[in-house]
Amino acid sequence: MTDLELILQTIMNSLIASSFTAIFAVGLVLIFGIMQVVNFAHGALYMVGAFSTWYLYSELGLPFFVAIILATLLTAAVGLVMERALFRPMRGNLFGGLIVSVGMMFVLEVLSVYLFGQGLMKNITPYFKESWHVFGIESVTIAHSRLFVFAVATFILVAFWLFMSRTRLGWAMRACAQNPEAAALQGISIGKISMLAMVISAAMAGAGGAVMAPLVRITPQMGHSVLITAFIVMIVGGMGSIEGALIAAFAYSFFHTFVTTYVGGEIATILGLVLMLMVLIVKPTGIMGERESV
Amino acid sequence: MTSNISRRKFLAGTGGVAASLTALGATRSKVFAAEKTIKIGFLAALTGDAAGWGLPGLYGVEIWAEQINAAGGMDVGGEKYRVEVISYDDEFDAIKATVGAKKLLFEDEVSIVLMLGITPVQAVKDFMTRNKMLTTTLVPTDISADAPYLFAPVEVHPFYNVTAVDWIGRNMPNVKTAAIATQNDELGLSSQATYRAAFEVAGIEVIEENLFGFEVTDFAPVVSKLIAANPDVITWDTAYPDYVNLLTEQAYLQGYKGQFVNCTLDQYSHILAKTSVEFLEGFLWQFPDLDDPIMQGGGTHFDNAAAFYQTYEERYPGAWTAVSWEYAAALEMWKTAVGNAGSFDPPTAAEALRNLSPVPHAFGDAEWWGESFFGINSAALGKWPVVQMQNGKAVIVEMGDVRAWMDKHGDVLIKHFEALGVPTSA
Repeated sequence: MTDLELILQTIMNSLIASSFTAIFAVGLVLIFGIMQVVNFAHGALYMVGAFSTWYLYSELGLPFFVAIILATLLTAAVGLVMERALFRPMRGNLFGGLIVSVGMMFVLEVLSVYLFGQGLMKNITPYFKESWHVFGIESVTIAHSRLFVFAVATFILVAFWLFMSRTRLGWAMRACAQNPEAAALQGISIGKISMLAMVISAAMAGAGGAVMAPLVRITPQMGHSVLITAFIVMIVGGMGSIEGALIAAFAYSFFHTFVTTYVGGEIATILGLVLMLMVLIVKPTGIMGERESV
Repeated sequence: MTSNISRRKFLAGTGGVAASLTALGATRSKVFAAEKTIKIGFLAALTGDAAGWGLPGLYGVEIWAEQINAAGGMDVGGEKYRVEVISYDDEFDAIKATVGAKKLLFEDEVSIVLMLGITPVQAVKDFMTRNKMLTTTLVPTDISADAPYLFAPVEVHPFYNVTAVDWIGRNMPNVKTAAIATQNDELGLSSQATYRAAFEVAGIEVIEENLFGFEVTDFAPVVSKLIAANPDVITWDTAYPDYVNLLTEQAYLQGYKGQFVNCTLDQYSHILAKTSVEFLEGFLWQFPDLDDPIMQGGGTHFDNAAAFYQTYEERYPGAWTAVSWEYAAALEMWKTAVGNAGSFDPPTAAEALRNLSPVPHAFGDAEWWGESFFGINSAALGKWPVVQMQNGKAVIVEMGDVRAWMDKHGDVLIKHFEALGVPTSA
């Protein structure tokens, strides 16, 4: 492999990583923007999506695509329950919402151990086993399973953008995020919008877990490192800014993948955090965050 | 009042009752003898990153105990003892290991503690020594002169890794370059030093190395860089089982065509399913399936190895890993030692274990070794198999002589240990 081919391969790896990071982080930002909840259970929802896919596809033998759809719906349902039972009573209580989300994270992780046991990761025999040689170059490849992740993530992000920009519900969600009191005065139900936001956010995490399941370690704690990445993206992008999260997801993933390839995985994580600190020093509100006036 | 019971009848009756009670008493005392219990402590990771080298070992120990109990128990000092296994999950964490060790010693009063190694062992080493508890580790770098009750009776990790590289050096003259990737921890680094030494001795140049952290979720960039260096052979060193699984799959998906040599290839049926029989053909590693013909007698010391493997596979299909048999193998050796000592008393058993010569290791006769590296001869060093994937099945291609390699090239090994900052007493 030549230097140029390695760069091309790294760009491809970065694109796939970016797409997944984007849908995961956007879901996290959505909840913070609308409900003012730092949802620590977002990684656990990703885990629910992965475990569900493994169980439905590998254990019950359902078709792969059916398993992915059911896993996404199941995770969305968990999100719905979380909103009604945990976050709604804590509305307006930033610290309370954070604490119950941490509790929910542990509940979901312990539940997965209780239901599916512990030990080595769950294995999914991949639905896609082949790779695409990028532009016909023999040494530059992307596995079809990773292309599938890219396609699903792109589809979800485009659908989400259309929903937010072209539908009344999307406008209502944006209104709630910008000024909940004003939105309520206009007749928008904050409760319904919060519920919808939580379902969409959980579905994004679940779909991410479902499509990533054949590619990663399926363990009860699998959401931890992904959640840390999403927090970095959320802070760099600007708390509550979906556009910022998208930009930060791509910037961070490209940066992390290139450093992992050319320097090393450990250094990449350290430099990723340094990058976050530098952004915060230069622009404390993040890339797209807005300064709040008192 | 008159009685219709005659004196003869009375004597016969009481005699009968007495005889019955005596017989019952004898029976009860026999039952009690058979129900004497000896407790074995198992303290390793059952969850978390290292669970792959803990939980499958516990399964093996439980099967071993079942087989012992089914055969009437352990015969020590003329009495039969039922074996009971008590386990705690240390999560590969120092604090949890300390709590588990205290429970095993003070509450459960076990006679031996089986551990995985590294951080948890280092955390409890002084405590075990103070309490004279016989403890085993799978990692010989744990042993030291100040811990006389700590043994590495089964694994000489990472030293046995030299045997597969040595085999490559003799059988694959076209292999000239190597790449190494593993997690950056004590396990990975000590193994990296060993592979560096083995490659140097075999005349293979290491052209790429990548150490990654535990937070890595996407191995594509790691593998891309390794493949870009065009190595003839790749090793994942002693990466954790899940990492080997995902790294190997990535290499397959990115079109790697070269040779692999690795410490482990745990649960390889899953990796075969993710890649292909053709892709894994020729993969070299260090841990056999115990149904291998070479493991059935012929100088090896693991009773009923094939039956053990078959029971394991039936009960836990596809769960076989490097450690599935290892903790049980340590118990096999301990059984011999306590049999010789006639006592389960841990210091006495430790003394008997140290006096075994040759050491009846699962892979053949071994000797206690380690003074040159760790200041004490508490690691069983002898033969270790080179295992190769052939048509989707693990096959022992050679029993490598670790001791001979160490005697000849120990200085090279020490050089690389020091270069990476891995402690030795040499």
